[in-house]
Amino acid sequence: MPRKVVSGPDYDDEYDEYDDYDEDYDEYDETGYGNTQHPAKEEKESLKNSSNTVPVHWTCSMCTFSNHESMMYCEMCGVFRESFVKSAKDGSIKDAVSAVSSELKTSATSKNGSAKTSVKTLALDFDGGAERKHASTSRDKADSIQLASSGSTSVTAKKKTPVLSEEIPVERTNFQLKADESGGASSTSTNDDVTQKLSSDISQLCLEKNNVNVTKPCPPEYKPEAWMLADQEPEVLSQLNLAIVGHVDSGKSTLSGRLLHLLGRISRKDMHKNEKESKEKGKGSFAFAWAMDESTEERERGVTMTVAVAYLETKKYRVVLLDSPGHKDFVPNMISGATQADAAILVVDASTGSFEAGMDGEGGKSVGQTKEHAQLIRSFGVEQLLVAVNKMDAVGYSKERFEFIKLQLGNFLRSCNFKDSAITWIPLSAVENQNLIKPPSDARLTSWYQGLCLLDAVDSLKLPSRDVSKPLILPICDVIKSQSTGQLAAFGKLETGAIRNGSKVLVLPCGQEATVKSIERDSNPCNIARAGDNVAVNLQGIDGSQLIPGGVLCHPGFPVAVANQMELKILVLDITIPILVGSQVEFHIHHVKEPARIVKIITLLDKTGKPTKSAPRFLKSKQNAVVQVALDGEVCVQEFSKSRALGRAYLRSSGRTIAVGVVSRIIGQDQN
Amino acid sequence: MKLVHRNLVRNGPGTVKLLPEEEDDLWHAYNLIAVGDNLQAVTVRKVLREGASGGRDAERVKLKLEIVVESVDYDKEGSVLRARGKNISENEHVKIGQFHTLELELKRPFVLRKEIWDWLALETIQQACDPTASADLAVILMQEGLAHLFLIGKSITATRARIETSIPRKHGPAIAGYESALKKFFEHVLQALLKHIDFEVVQCVVIASPGFTKDQFRDYIFLEAARRDLRVIIENKARIVLAHATSGYKHSLKEVLDTPGVMSLIKDTKAAQEVRALQEFFNMLTNDSARACYGPKHVEIAQDRLAIQTLLITDTLFRNADIAARQKYVNLVESVKKYGGTVHIFSSMHVSGDQLAQLTGIAAILRFPLPDLEDIEM
Repeated sequence: MPRKVVSGPDYDDEYDEYDDYDEDYDEYDETGYGNTQHPAKEEKESLKNSSNTVPVHWTCSMCTFSNHESMMYCEMCGVFRESFVKSAKDGSIKDAVSAVSSELKTSATSKNGSAKTSVKTLALDFDGGAERKHASTSRDKADSIQLASSGSTSVTAKKKTPVLSEEIPVERTNFQLKADESGGASSTSTNDDVTQKLSSDISQLCLEKNNVNVTKPCPPEYKPEAWMLADQEPEVLSQLNLAIVGHVDSGKSTLSGRLLHLLGRISRKDMHKNEKESKEKGKGSFAFAWAMDESTEERERGVTMTVAVAYLETKKYRVVLLDSPGHKDFVPNMISGATQADAAILVVDASTGSFEAGMDGEGGKSVGQTKEHAQLIRSFGVEQLLVAVNKMDAVGYSKERFEFIKLQLGNFLRSCNFKDSAITWIPLSAVENQNLIKPPSDARLTSWYQGLCLLDAVDSLKLPSRDVSKPLILPICDVIKSQSTGQLAAFGKLETGAIRNGSKVLVLPCGQEATVKSIERDSNPCNIARAGDNVAVNLQGIDGSQLIPGGVLCHPGFPVAVANQMELKILVLDITIPILVGSQVEFHIHHVKEPARIVKIITLLDKTGKPTKSAPRFLKSKQNAVVQVALDGEVCVQEFSKSRALGRAYLRSSGRTIAVGVVSRIIGQDQN
Repeated sequence: MKLVHRNLVRNGPGTVKLLPEEEDDLWHAYNLIAVGDNLQAVTVRKVLREGASGGRDAERVKLKLEIVVESVDYDKEGSVLRARGKNISENEHVKIGQFHTLELELKRPFVLRKEIWDWLALETIQQACDPTASADLAVILMQEGLAHLFLIGKSITATRARIETSIPRKHGPAIAGYESALKKFFEHVLQALLKHIDFEVVQCVVIASPGFTKDQFRDYIFLEAARRDLRVIIENKARIVLAHATSGYKHSLKEVLDTPGVMSLIKDTKAAQEVRALQEFFNMLTNDSARACYGPKHVEIAQDRLAIQTLLITDTLFRNADIAARQKYVNLVESVKKYGGTVHIFSSMHVSGDQLAQLTGIAAILRFPLPDLEDIEM
């Protein structure tokens, strides 16, 4: 029976399997990082630092806008320059430190990416307890800088840079500790373990410092600014990204089209046009689907090929519908389009034979897309699922059929780690408009079904927690270049952090910086976008060829890693051909896919995540394992413990998803 | 390849004179020439000369040199074979012991002398000189935004073109952008097709893709051919066939070669046999995993117990610079043959050979299960 989704504040923790990964992550840190060392790179970097000239700009601490040195307040937002304010009121030591950090940010912004991070990390760790000596010396320096700071920025920054090369190692080590701490705290919320780990971490600090390009963990000192956290105005609904998935021809597009139509999102004129055209083509039943499938190819074949995005509003949410393709050849498109989902509607065709095809593939030979999509959606991190049992009209609204499907599919969903309480079952018919936005009217359905209609069920979904307080990460789903103005817009969902007009962002993998010119949400301009929002960001100051789908926009001070070698913890799905060392796969992560191969099967894991057998011959269905993969190209990636969105990966081969997993360690950028 | 002259003893010393005729032949020559062999060919060398007046001038001289090979390079994109080594022939321009690099070209004979002509080398010659028509097949492997054009010869698969464009997703009114981007992409692929595919040589062209991209593309080229009057395409319409693939990446090529329609076109070629053999290996691994093994250590153990039914091995292993290692593999192959097993030597230039190379380069299907291999670390 339909249930309300129950979820507490610790919602995440109950989903054991995936959260295991967070805890184990720390071990990997200790064992692995020592292997990759780039002492040469480190030196080069410090050289670069000291030889760089210092700009005469300062960065606004609020909006990161570069102001001319002579300005006492920010041109963009009017905030007073930090150092100016602070020197006026005889700041405490701590203030001085933060002032220095802002100064350093100034000098950093104009340098290239690698130099920037090191400068940044230096500034960030002043309160690190482990290295008191260094902290105190730098405090002294900070004081002296403080005196001069209102005078000339360039002098202070120059003074600072030569010191950098000596301090980097120490600073970064601190920094790693913090990352661990925050990682541990956020996932398990127990600090006891962490403190123990600290000591062991210290012993390997000297190794880790060299991993400049490999790991750039989110520094815990990242301080969200006031505007980022500001509570949303009460009249603005929060945004929910809802993916619609299911087997081919189960009626996903028709369902979405119907919802849009019922909620008045499609003008009568368009609807009439669609109806007329679809009748002409002899596909009258596709009228609603055509609202979603706009390309001629899709219409001709009656199959959705890429993910269509539509917006609608319910009583509680502004919903972004992601209507994904169901055909098995377009699963890659589905992955790249629907990873943004917060929740999903799994559409199941109730009619005889179709449901079975969705479960077991045609002729029962392979895996149907009902199953494949459900597994994928779960691995996207989606926990709440609405199962829409569509085409109930075709089976005469039979209760037996509904219960049968519920039993069959329910078993499977449980095996995918969906919780029973997070699944809502809704019988409906998109064509006959039963149980979509209003309770059903057909007597055959009302006689046994009294639960929620689809739209109410959507409202009953809980918003997942949004990490507004973390640095910005926006995986680019799509790039659109306006023909007339030549302006570039990046589409995507903000995974963490927030941006507003005028913010500076770092575009990866190219490493260029750009300025946000404007933000659009459903073609309406808005000023601020926060984590969870699906927006189009117009960027300024970047070349069109550098902005690619699959890239990431992030905070200039907190870049994500770009790598082609990584270690994954995977769960192997139902496969026929085992995974061997050297197997060639397609590697999907957020919006990118790259050909890749398995370089090493490191170890098998048992159910509790303990390694059982090292270097096995091959992997079979349902096994958990740690593998190392090498990608042909480089992708933006983060360890799962640091960023969930950039840490989930999917392996596909021969048109099937063979494994889902998370990134446990980033190894680097070796040339194969 | 043409065998012009032969004077050798099996498992003993001797010379052959060979004349490469097509690009495949250079690949065979690459497999044939090992470090330590003597190679003689006509070549061009820049010679510095001191004139009577004391001035120096450089001159390019054509001469015949014999070298002791120290390294061999094969460039698969340009089909060029270079052998580097020390000169051993007396010559007025080049001193004995001076280094020289011979570049082997098509239609230019060369003489190869080996101290030991093992069966493998002889087999390579035999294969290379086999005049049965080479199955030249062109495959366009595509997905939206990515296309590869391959030419598949007897023993090599050459990537002739790779086209990558970014195609936007549909976004309401921006749908026109999607369509024009797709059209532009198709145009690039068509240009590559016209440039690289010679219908005189190629038997047929296979267009493969997931979804409907292949149909869209075929419609596009036929339409464009009619519009622009591209005779090559109009006349060869019947030789353009469609196949299904699950992605546009190179490793999907084996799926294309495995589809029945394409298989029947190339059924007797080495490429097809390799694909089939590898498929068998995977099937065995799936159904009865104890009867399949891979990796040199496991395979060796299996051969010690005379368990190998079919041995799959890539030619890269025989090109090993380490003579002892090469000998080890040659002996392994010999002993498998001796005990009635079959051996498939994969060309690493084919996609299936490429995959085998990823799986350590050696694999075997066994006569009887060896479950204890599980417990031996690779």
